[in-house]
Order: sequence, then C-alpha cells, then structure tokens
Amino acid sequence: MSDSPQSAPVAAIRIDGARKVYTVFPQTQRVAVDDVTLEVPQGAIHGLLGPNGAGKTTTLKMLLGLVRPAAGTFRVLGVDSRTRAGRAQLGFLPEQPYFPPQLTARQAMRLYARLSGVPEREIAARTTELLDRVGLEGRASTQLAAFSRGMLQRLGIAQAIVSRPKVVVLDEPASGLDPLGQRDVRNLMLQLRDEGATVLLSSHQLSEAEAVCDRVSIMSRGRVAAEGPIADLLSVAGRTTIRVGGLQALPQAVWGRAADVVPEGDLIGFSVQDADVRAAIDGVYDAGGAVIEVEPKRESLEDYFTRMLADEKGEVA
Amino acid sequence: MVRRLTAIAGAVFLDAIKRRVVYAVLFFAAILAFSAPSLPSYGVGVDVGVYREVALSLTFAAAMVLALALAANRIPSEVERRTVYNVTSKAVSRWEYVVGTWLGITAVMGAVIAAFTVIDQLVGLGRYGQPMWQLWQGAVAIWFEMGVLTAFAVAVSALSGAVVVTVATLTFAFVGHSRQPVLQQFPAFPAWLYPSLDTFNVINPVAHGSGIGAVYVFLMALVFVGWVTALLAMGSMGFARRDL
Repeated sequence: MSDSPQSAPVAAIRIDGARKVYTVFPQTQRVAVDDVTLEVPQGAIHGLLGPNGAGKTTTLKMLLGLVRPAAGTFRVLGVDSRTRAGRAQLGFLPEQPYFPPQLTARQAMRLYARLSGVPEREIAARTTELLDRVGLEGRASTQLAAFSRGMLQRLGIAQAIVSRPKVVVLDEPASGLDPLGQRDVRNLMLQLRDEGATVLLSSHQLSEAEAVCDRVSIMSRGRVAAEGPIADLLSVAGRTTIRVGGLQALPQAVWGRAADVVPEGDLIGFSVQDADVRAAIDGVYDAGGAVIEVEPKRESLEDYFTRMLADEKGEVA
Repeated sequence: MVRRLTAIAGAVFLDAIKRRVVYAVLFFAAILAFSAPSLPSYGVGVDVGVYREVALSLTFAAAMVLALALAANRIPSEVERRTVYNVTSKAVSRWEYVVGTWLGITAVMGAVIAAFTVIDQLVGLGRYGQPMWQLWQGAVAIWFEMGVLTAFAVAVSALSGAVVVTVATLTFAFVGHSRQPVLQQFPAFPAWLYPSLDTFNVINPVAHGSGIGAVYVFLMALVFVGWVTALLAMGSMGFARRDL
C-alpha cells in the first residue's frame, strides 16, 4: 500500500510531453523540443545533458514560463511551474547570467530577494550570507560593471537560492568559472541536496555532471535519448577495464585478448571481454606484473555522446 | 504586488540614474539654459516671457532625448543580455515587469526634469531677478507627457528593438501634437479617434500668461493616467505572449 499513487511523494519536477516549435521566417518550422518527459524526485540532483542545440535550455525555459510551449505540462512540487505560485518554488540560474551593470552586488541581491518574497528584515543578513557562500565576500559594494565573468556567475548562483527555494534549476553553472570555482559549485550543489533541495542541472560539462548527479537525462535533437543513473548509462556491457603495473608491454598471452590499450605513465590500461578477465590477470602475473585495478568498462560521456550522435545520423541516413 | 513593482522600479531607477547619458544631457541643457538670455531676438518687455518659453522648450527637448535614451532600449537590452531572466523566472508577472520598468524610468525623468527646472529658475533669477515659480507648472506638464511617451516606448519595446521604438515614439509625439492641422486637412476624420498630446502643451500660458490652474492640472493627470494605462496594458499583453 505504501507505494500507492496517493501516498507516493510528489515529484519535485515533472514535465510531460513538452514540445516547442519555432517558426523561422517566412514559414519554416523548427522543432526545438519534441515530446520531452522528465521526472525528478525530491532531494535529487538530476543532470540534463546534451550537446549544444539539443533542447536543454529551451526545456528549462518552458519549465520556468520564459518560453511558451506548443504542448506539454510542467509541474514543480505538484504546482504548474508556469504560474507565479509555481515559480515561487523555484530558483533559477540562467546560462551566462548578466545583471544591470550600474547596480552594486548588494543592490542586485536586494532586488532579487524582494522579488522572491524574502522578508524585508532578513534581506541584509541573507545577502551577506550568500555573497560569502559563493565567494564574493567583500564585494557587496562593488558595481556589477566591474565584475568578471566568473563573479557574475557566482552572483547568479546567489540570486538563484536567495529565497531558499525547494527546487533549483542551474543552467551551465560552471560556465566561466576557474577550476576552483567549478569545485565550489559542485560542493554547493551537494550542500543544497543535503539541505533537502532538488537540483536540476543542465550542463554540457560532463565531468561536472558525473561528479554530482544521481541520475541524468541525455537530450539529443530535442528529445530525451537516454535516462537513468549515470553509471548504468556509461557502462559497456560485457567488457572490463584492467590497469596493470611493472610491465614494459603487455605479455603475448594478454595482448591477443586486449583492446583499448593505453599507456598511463608507469601503468598500462586495457579492456577485455568479461570472460577473459581471469586469463588476462593470470597472464599479467605470469609475466611478473601487478594488477592495480579491475572495474567494469565505462565509456566517457564524450564517447557516449559521439556514439549516440553517430547512431542518430545513421538512422537518418 | 506593490513590493514587486517598487523593487523593479527602484532597480531601474538606480541603474538609469547612474548612466552617463543622464548627466551629459543635463550638462548640455544647462549650458543652453545659461546661454538663452543672451539670444539676440528678445524684444523689450517680452524678454522674460521669451526666456520662459525657451527654457520650457529646452527642458522638453532634453527630456525627450533622455526618455528615448532610457526607454527605447531598456527592455530589448534586458532581453538580449538575459537580465530579464533573473526577474521573470521569479514569482513576477510579466505586466509587473513592464509597469515596474515604466515606473523606474518615469521616476528618473521626474528627477531630471526637476533638475532642469531648478537650473532654469536659477538662470532666470540671476538674469531677471524673478524666481519664475510658474516654470514648475510647465515642468509637471512635461513630466506628464514624458510619462506617456515613455509608456509608448516601453510598450513598443516589449515587442520590438530600439530603432523601431525610437522611430515609433518620435512619430507618436509628432502625430500627437499635430491634431489641429491634420483635422483641418481631413475634416471627415473623427476627432475623438485622433490621439492628442496637446493637453500637455502649456508653454504658452506658462511662458506668456498667468499659468494654469489646479483644475487643468487635474485634467492633465486624468489624460496622463488614461494614456499610460492603455499603453502599458497593450505592452504588457504583448510582452506576456513573447518568448524570452
């Protein structure tokens, strides 16, 4: 009974059948998003991945009411996300955020706090707290015209969470940040999840998604091409990756079974069929080498994208 | 709702009032005001009236330039730079964004017109020994008209780019002040359909007469509210249907 529809917790984000068609002058129609369905449970970090032009940002814009959908329903915590009541549950960081350049960081935060319904007496303290949290301490009185790309990105993140939203939508949050800044953003997303918030992360930085996402949806050409835990999506069925040390080259007994052989400093990495793992390990030990690591073979997200796009081109052809 | 409107208006005001164009226009208008009394065409006995007329005309022209500079590109640039996302993705209605933007620009125009008028008064006091308080009646009328023109510009800019907004607003101002000659030319045209801004043209009574009364100011306020409501309603409807 516990998993009956009545008792199931409402999804943090639910998109059903989203579709967006742009009419390009004079009469050409371009389908940007087609029948996208997405469900993100509460308290998760969900990645929305895909190459440029896949439809990620358009999907987010429809969710936020910034773009009018041709079809589909969009709900946040059970409320239509395109209404004011729905958007009140959301915090949003747009891709490459920009702000009125003549405002100071404090004035901008005050604006967004007031628009988000933060009580007047809390705004000053919340501004200070958030500017510290995103690494802009001591910059409250600086005019935004003097902010770097990375600083604007950090301010964008601060304004997105100013009202402690239950659902946070981040569009390319690491864009424009140095490696330390990217690490800070990753930590921030994990903190938000620990605090009970749900994060929908749109990104084409695959390492970022791999580091924090519980599940991902991969979009291509306006559709969801794949969805699930990232480890499942990237695992290559039937193959295992092995890293060995203490060898100049793979012994003959292993070489014949190995593929993807890559020297990695003092180590050698390769993959074999699952059925050949035992024989490959024995061959390495017989040759005087040491097995450092054995794990199911995963392809990189880059490889996954490349293969997916190639498959789609093949289908079209 | 009021909190959101004032938040947007306040941010627009703070952003606009710091723009260099505001002070550049103010600076050059002040130079013109200081040089106005030295114009050679003043006749004996009418120089004060002519100065008042020139001062109000300069204020109108400078305010018009500034209204266009601030209003024509405000929404288009916010959409292009995506600053609008940070506002419209929150629990803010599109109409609140449009009206808040108008309120902010109109507040800046009020501050600037007040500054122009103080300069005109100081020059008048220095040159003619008169404080010329009636210039404030003209200033109010100019501010009302700039409010209407700003509402028109904001409404058009909710759907279009800065160049179209500028041309359309100039056309609107020109047509709005051409009611009488046009209707004389085309007597069959229904007069009530013609958009007129002549209500706000009080230069003659203020410069050469005894000014305008409170009833007329109230009438101007009514016309102002009517125009602004209609224009912002149209702009809000257009902006609400727009993809950002």
